[in-house]
Amino acid sequence: MMESLWISLQLALVTTIILLLVALPLAYILAFKTFKGRTALEVVVALPLVLPPTVLGYFVLLMIAPNTGLGHLWQSAFDHSLAFSFSGMVIASVLYSLPFAVQPMQQSLRAIPDSWLEMARTQGLSLNQTLIQVMLPAAKGGVLVAAALSFAHTMGEFGAVLMVGGSIPGETKVASIALFEFVEMQQQSEAWMLALILLGVSFVMLSVVYTLNRQGSNPGIFK
Amino acid sequence: MKNRIKIKALVGALDLQADVTFSDEMIIISGENGAGKTTLLRCLAGLETARGHMLVKQQLWLDSAADFVLPTQIRHIGCVWPDAALLPWLTAEKNITLGIDQVDDSWLNLLAERLEITALMQRKPHMLSTGEAQRVALVRAIYRKPSALLLDEPFSAQAPAIRQRLRAVLKAVQVELNIPVIMVSHDREDAEMLADQHWRMREGRLLTQAFETSVNRKLQA
Repeated sequence: MMESLWISLQLALVTTIILLLVALPLAYILAFKTFKGRTALEVVVALPLVLPPTVLGYFVLLMIAPNTGLGHLWQSAFDHSLAFSFSGMVIASVLYSLPFAVQPMQQSLRAIPDSWLEMARTQGLSLNQTLIQVMLPAAKGGVLVAAALSFAHTMGEFGAVLMVGGSIPGETKVASIALFEFVEMQQQSEAWMLALILLGVSFVMLSVVYTLNRQGSNPGIFK
Repeated sequence: MKNRIKIKALVGALDLQADVTFSDEMIIISGENGAGKTTLLRCLAGLETARGHMLVKQQLWLDSAADFVLPTQIRHIGCVWPDAALLPWLTAEKNITLGIDQVDDSWLNLLAERLEITALMQRKPHMLSTGEAQRVALVRAIYRKPSALLLDEPFSAQAPAIRQRLRAVLKAVQVELNIPVIMVSHDREDAEMLADQHWRMREGRLLTQAFETSVNRKLQA
């Protein structure tokens, strides 16, 4: 049981870190740029919200199978299959939680007053300086919410990781899958314990999100 | 008359046209609400799209004939807008030196003293009054020794007594830096006490003093 929780935590942590790096440029583009294919990009980013996780997992599995380009490349580089591995689950989790990371960041970037961005321009700040010294601190709340939501959402993932990871004990069997198997095998006390822990994690993460959100809508966050 | 602005811009419902020359002097712009004063400043700052020609302090800012626009970031201007736009998580001092690696402390302290914000430097914006925030924004604009100052009612939140002192400071800064200062103001005293040139705006058109004088002469004749 602890093993599966540990895998879930690792998966959530790695996924969150990767998501912050991937989602920030996406959020920036969606918040400020107009271009052809913008709507398509928004739809793709939002797809995991409505797609059955098994469908997403199935496509990821097809994408990383050893007979595909990506799967083959991985196999020859690391000498193990990407499918049914931790790394494969990371790919699925990143895609699965993408909207939960992009949307809060996009909203908080969008909420930066125009006057601050214009001030950065007239004061001669470079794009990098504007990003690091104006935009990121201003959107700090959204970035933290994105991290908390990505983490919590990955902890609770089931269908996509089952499809891609295959529930290999000690490798890809995460807590939510372990819970399912405990129930199937009528191990009630273990099921109870794991369910309570997962409930606790979700509760704590959502409390963090709501606290940040309240501060974000109040300039007090900067005081 | 080394600075030259000849531009047209369509911004919202406003059809802006300006054709002026000026030296490195103090220019006051006045006019009704919606006449285009702020829009003109925003065009000069490069924050609105304008067509035409702009040459300021021997630097080409705009030359539509050659498809050239100098980006706002490298026009090296100092701006104060009605919204002081101070970043709330930085102290007044850090707001002023935002984006500057090597801070010239003596210049910073001198400006802070002249614009009467020395005691406020370590405060964050929520601890500043509107007038104090406006003066911090003024110091931020001046600190970088810009090649032009574009000020949109920079004294609007100042009490009359300090306003008088600020005018003297602004004039001194203009002379020291030897730059054009273009300032929107509704305060007649600003125009009377500061203006080397007085531009009036009406419905997007800019009428310089010289233009008005010639009209007056024609009317008298």
